Amino acid sequence: MTRWGMVIDLGRCTGCAACEVACKSENNIATVSPDQADLGRAFAWMKVMTHVEGEFPNTTMRFVPRPCMHCDNPPCVQVCPVGATYINDEGIVGQIYARCIGCRYCANACPYTVKYFNWLVPEWPETARAYLNPDVSVRPKGVIEKCTFCHHRLQKAREDAQALGRELREEDYQPACAEVCPTGAIVFGDLDNPRHRVHALKDDPRAMRLMEDLGTEPKVYYLTPRD
Amino acid sequence: MAKLARSLVRLKSLRPRGRHLIILLPPLLVLAGVALAARRSPVAQPVAFNHRKHTKDLGLGCEFCHQYVTTGAHAGLPGARNCGICHQVEQGKSPEAARVTALLGRGDPLRFNKLFRLASHVNYTHRRHVGIAKLECRQCHGAIADSDRPPSRALVRITMNVCLDCHRAKGQSLDCVACHR
Repeated sequence: MTRWGMVIDLGRCTGCAACEVACKSENNIATVSPDQADLGRAFAWMKVMTHVEGEFPNTTMRFVPRPCMHCDNPPCVQVCPVGATYINDEGIVGQIYARCIGCRYCANACPYTVKYFNWLVPEWPETARAYLNPDVSVRPKGVIEKCTFCHHRLQKAREDAQALGRELREEDYQPACAEVCPTGAIVFGDLDNPRHRVHALKDDPRAMRLMEDLGTEPKVYYLTPRD
Repeated sequence: MAKLARSLVRLKSLRPRGRHLIILLPPLLVLAGVALAARRSPVAQPVAFNHRKHTKDLGLGCEFCHQYVTTGAHAGLPGARNCGICHQVEQGKSPEAARVTALLGRGDPLRFNKLFRLASHVNYTHRRHVGIAKLECRQCHGAIADSDRPPSRALVRITMNVCLDCHRAKGQSLDCVACHR
């Protein structure tokens, strides 16, 4: 059974935020004005969270890229009253915008705060409008949106593999963040497939998941830094 | 003001049944308006293209004009370049064919208009359905190949249930994100 998941090596992450930028441009993420961003209305399906360790001047900066965890036991799915968010057979937590009524229960239920509400009609700078990704919908005002593990890329990869009459390979389907990561910190694949890198990495002694005690069973694993 | 008061008096004097009707009227009008707006306006084409002539009598395949039907998301519509392959010179005796040649001579781009419009949240590709699954065009588009003039509306109305019925019958994915984006 396929279970798509991600392993992020925090020892390799330099905090460059290429994943954040790639995600925004891949998924048609709207820009938000500074005053709206102050109200917490900015979007970041992938966000590099920062954490300062130690006391000045002996400090270390830690970076934690945080996409949707695509939990195996997702709290957002349990509270959605209309079935707009659900977990599919391959473990991807989907968000169907046309079905979402914008009640924001899911955004409040998510312990990782990865669900974003569209408070405004999406806007882009005029120059960016021509570069919207046609494979991803532009969300209307009043719905929740979230990381989809670039599911549209899976659809395309499947289609390509079928057209060529071969099996889907690990490299065929990579989300934008994993593809651009310059240090290879983000590894993506099928957690249940022994031929995929994530299969072994998730059992690494350094592997941990965020807020594991909540029982959400996230499919995004982190490898703690070696130092 | 006086007019309003008089109409209010008249409203009060109506029997309860009549009053209900008046109260119901505005929402009914709104509903009717919505229903009318939802109906797509008829689509006009630059020339009265005869599908039957081209597909049945001349035996051209659909992909002769809809070039990307097996490889692209959109099947593609023909333009002056496609039509010009044959109609650069006059073909047959039909006055419409003569008009096409005349339009091409004038450099008209012959822009045909789309009949089908998918909702923006649907991720559909012709490649997946025609190129890979080898579905017949008529399965979704009806008997368009037999028509002798361009219809002003799509011959078949495709709803999500139509997609789901076919997906169920053929054992294909019923997962929401498989088709919604």
